[in-house]
Amino acid sequence: MKFWETITGSDLTRDWKAFEARADALPADYRAAWDQIKGHLFPYADFTGRNLTPILDGALGLLEETAADGQSVEEVLGDDIEGFCAALAGEEGARSYRDRWREQLNRNVARKLGQLGG
Amino acid sequence: MDDLTEMLKGTLEGCVLEIIGSEETYGYAITRRLNELGFADVIEGTIYTILLRLEKNGLVQVTKRPSDLGPPRKFYALNDAGREELARFWAKWEYITSRIDKLKEGGR
Repeated sequence: MKFWETITGSDLTRDWKAFEARADALPADYRAAWDQIKGHLFPYADFTGRNLTPILDGALGLLEETAADGQSVEEVLGDDIEGFCAALAGEEGARSYRDRWREQLNRNVARKLGQLGG
Repeated sequence: MDDLTEMLKGTLEGCVLEIIGSEETYGYAITRRLNELGFADVIEGTIYTILLRLEKNGLVQVTKRPSDLGPPRKFYALNDAGREELARFWAKWEYITSRIDKLKEGGR
């Protein structure tokens, strides 16, 4: 990744635009599922959201493949898109800002306790 | 048979390894194979997340092949680590089923 892209996030904007262009080519029910997937994955984003790019790319690939197979989106994803997204984020090792807050809190508490225990 | 999914969950990864082990294959074909076996509730989304995990753990070799329709497909084959993992799965499966059979027969 180029330094300029890192600073401006221009690579992200480009990736996201490309994703949306691909999603637009999907059947309507798949597009609706794509919107849901994005919504359920956002909580797993890091500060820039860069960690989500490969996950979204893979999920979009799955949608494209299965749409081409002529399957319905319900057959592919079932009724638990949230669970699917949690599994996706977990497997790809995405860590959310909440994880970091939790770590920070744990560290601070441990330090405070350490001081008290002296 | 209903409600098999919960019981199947822990063993699904082994099932997928076994299917990939018999021939190089792709996500949809794996799902169909499991559906044909009678696991009607298994969906491709679930298989997709398992395949990601296998890939991340370095148990499979992934090849992208052009498909007749739509985007290229990812094909999966077992590598050496995958074959070892599959052998471990069957050993564990053997252990569990023998213990549970014993329990069912009321033995000790």
